[in-house]
Amino acid sequence: MSTTVPPPEVDPDLADPAPPPGPGLERAAEKAESRRGFLVGLPSYAYLILFFALPLLIVVIYSFATRSIRGRTVLGGWNLDSYGRLLDDLVLDIAWRSLWIAVLTTVVCLVVSYPFAYYLATRPARIRGVLLVLVMIPFWSNLLVRTYAWRFLLSSDGPFTSFLVAIGFEDAQLLFTPTAVMIGLVYGYLPFMILPLYATIERLDHSLVEAARDLYATGWQAFWKVTWPLTRPGVIAGSILVFIPSFGAYVTPEILGGRGSTMLGSYIARQFIGTASDWPFGSALSVTILLVMMVAATAYFRSGGKNL
Amino acid sequence: MTDTGLTTGQRADASSDGTATSAVTLQGVTKRFPGAKGADPVVAVDGVDLEIRDGEFFSLLGPSGCGKTTTLRMIAGFEYPTAGSVQIFGEEVGLEPPNRRPVNTVFQSYALFPHMTVEENVGFGLQMKKVDRDEAARRVADVIDLVQLQGRESRKPKQLSGGQQQRVALARALVNHPKVLLLDEPLGALDLKLRQAMQVELKQLQERVGITFVYVTHDQEEALTMSDRIAVMDGGKLLQVGGPGAIYDRPRTRFVADFIGDTNLLRATAEDPGSARLPDGTAIRLEHHAAPGSDLMVAIRPEHVGLRATDADRDLTLDAIDGEVALVTFLGNATLYEVVGDRGDPPTRVRIRQGNAPGVQHFGVGDRVRVRWAPSSATVLED
Repeated sequence: MSTTVPPPEVDPDLADPAPPPGPGLERAAEKAESRRGFLVGLPSYAYLILFFALPLLIVVIYSFATRSIRGRTVLGGWNLDSYGRLLDDLVLDIAWRSLWIAVLTTVVCLVVSYPFAYYLATRPARIRGVLLVLVMIPFWSNLLVRTYAWRFLLSSDGPFTSFLVAIGFEDAQLLFTPTAVMIGLVYGYLPFMILPLYATIERLDHSLVEAARDLYATGWQAFWKVTWPLTRPGVIAGSILVFIPSFGAYVTPEILGGRGSTMLGSYIARQFIGTASDWPFGSALSVTILLVMMVAATAYFRSGGKNL
Repeated sequence: MTDTGLTTGQRADASSDGTATSAVTLQGVTKRFPGAKGADPVVAVDGVDLEIRDGEFFSLLGPSGCGKTTTLRMIAGFEYPTAGSVQIFGEEVGLEPPNRRPVNTVFQSYALFPHMTVEENVGFGLQMKKVDRDEAARRVADVIDLVQLQGRESRKPKQLSGGQQQRVALARALVNHPKVLLLDEPLGALDLKLRQAMQVELKQLQERVGITFVYVTHDQEEALTMSDRIAVMDGGKLLQVGGPGAIYDRPRTRFVADFIGDTNLLRATAEDPGSARLPDGTAIRLEHHAAPGSDLMVAIRPEHVGLRATDADRDLTLDAIDGEVALVTFLGNATLYEVVGDRGDPPTRVRIRQGNAPGVQHFGVGDRVRVRWAPSSATVLED
C-alpha cells in the first residue's frame, strides 16, 4: 500500500487538452477594453485632429512657401527663406521684449499670488469658497472689455497717472508703454497663477510645517525648507500657465501697448491681417515659437519633477 | 544611561537636589477655540493642572475629542493656552513658539519631510540649531543605529514601511536630546502585531535614554502597558491621574471605570459605614463615606468576580448573589458570563470573566450559579 504508486493511466485523448482559455480570453478582453476606450475618446480625437493638428500642419506647410511680390502666398518653390529672416534685428528685438515682459509678468504674478494662495488655502472652507469665486469672477466677462477698462485707468488723466504726477513724476506716462502691457498681462493671468498654487498649498500637510517648527526652524526657515519645495509643482504649473500666454500675448499689447511695446503675438498677427501680409514668415515665426516653448516647458517640468 | 549620549544635562542637575523634578507643569491650562459663526467657543481643554515628573513615561488617555491632543500641542507650542501656565523644567514657555522649546514631537502621521532622505530628515533639527557638521553627522549616525535603520540613510520616506517611518520620526526627535519627548498616538497607523512590538520597544527605548515621554493615546491597553503614570481625560477635563494599577483597580469616576477595561456598574444604597444594599435587597460589604440612605455607584471588575455552583460551600468572607447564567461568550483565553440574579425587579446583572485555565468549572446558559466577590474589589465611584 505504502510503496510506490504507479502513475495514473492517461487517456491519450485527454493527454493533450486544448490550451487553457486564459491568455486568449485575456487578450480579447484587453482588445475590447481598448476599443471601448477609443470610442470614448473619439469625439476629442476628431475635434483635435480637425481643428488643431490639421491647421497646425497647414501652418507648418505655409512656413516653407513663398510670398509673391503682391503679398500672396505661393504654394510651391518650397524654401527656408522665412526661417532665415528670424534672425533679423527687428525680430530679435521683438522676441527679446516679449521674453522679458513675459518673465516679469510671471514673476510679478508669482510674488503677488503666493501669499494670497497661502492665505486662501488656510481659510475655513466657507470663506475659501467665497474667495475662490471672487478670484474667478473676472473670467465671467470678456478679456477685451476688461482690457479696455485698463486703457481708461492707465490713460494720462486716469487715477494711476494722476497719482504718479501728484507724487512728483511730472511727465509720467503709463498707457502705451511696456509697463502698461505688463500691468494688463498680470491682471489678466493672475488667476492662472493663483489657482494651481492654491491647489498645491491646500494639499500640503500642515503637520510638516509644524514638524519643521518643532525641529527649531523659524517661520521663514520652515517656509524655505518645507513649504516652498513641496509647493514647487504649483509654482511650476502656474508659471507655465502665465508665461506661455504672456509670451504670445496679442490682445493686451495691442490695446495697452504702443509703438515701442510690440510683442511677438502682434507681430505675427501683422503678417496675416496687417500691412505686412507675409503668411510664410508669420507661419515660420509661429512654428519656431511653438518649438522653443515645447522644449523650454519640457525642461522646466523635468527640473521640477526630479525633486518630488 | 549616559552611554547612549542621550541624557540631558538638565536631568543630572535636577536630580541632585533630591526631590523628584517636574518635567512639565500645567497650571489651570485652558484652551478655547472660536466656535463656528454665532456659536459659543469650544472649550477643548478646561482648567487642567498636571505635573509630569522627570524621566517618567506619562500617558494622556481619553476618547477622541477629550482634549488630550490639544494638551500635548500646548506643551509642544503648536497651540497657545487661552489661560494658565505651561512650564518645562520650571521655565514658563506658554507663549514661546515651538522652535524655542526644549521638546520634540513624534507626530501621529509621522510628518516626515517627503522631499528629504532619512538622513536629512533626522539631521533637520541639528541643522536648524547650527550644530557643528561633524558632530551632527555623528549624532545622526548614532541615533539611526539606535532605531536600527542602518543602511537606509539615503532612502526617501515613501520607500520605507510604516514601522520604519515610525522609527525615522522617533530618531528625528531623539537626535536633538529633547528634555521632553511628546508622542501623539505614534502607533495608531500600525497594524496590531507591529503595534504591540513597538509598544515594548518604545518602553525599552524610553528607559534607555531616560527622557521624559508624554504619550497621547486613546487605547487604554496601550496606556496601561507602557506608562509609569496615566492621566485620564474627558470633555477637556482631567479626571484621574495615577499609575496603571491604581487607575485600573481604583477608578474614581464612572467614566474612568467604564473607559478603562470592562466593568460591572451596580447601584447601591449606603447603610452603616462598611455596608450597603443592592436594589435587589442583597446586603454587601462596602467601604464608603456616604450618609446612610444615599445612592452609590459601585464598580466591580468582571475578572474579580468568581462563579460557583449553588451547592458549593458558602465562603462568608465573600459577598454573593445567586442567579442563572444568561449568556456565555467564549473569548479564547477566558470566558465571559452574564448572570441574572434571582431576586429583585429589575434583577441584578453581573458580568464575570473567568480565565480558561485547566480544571476551571464551566457553566452553560440556564445553569444555577453563585456569583461572589471579595468586598475589597468593590469600588465606590464619585459620580
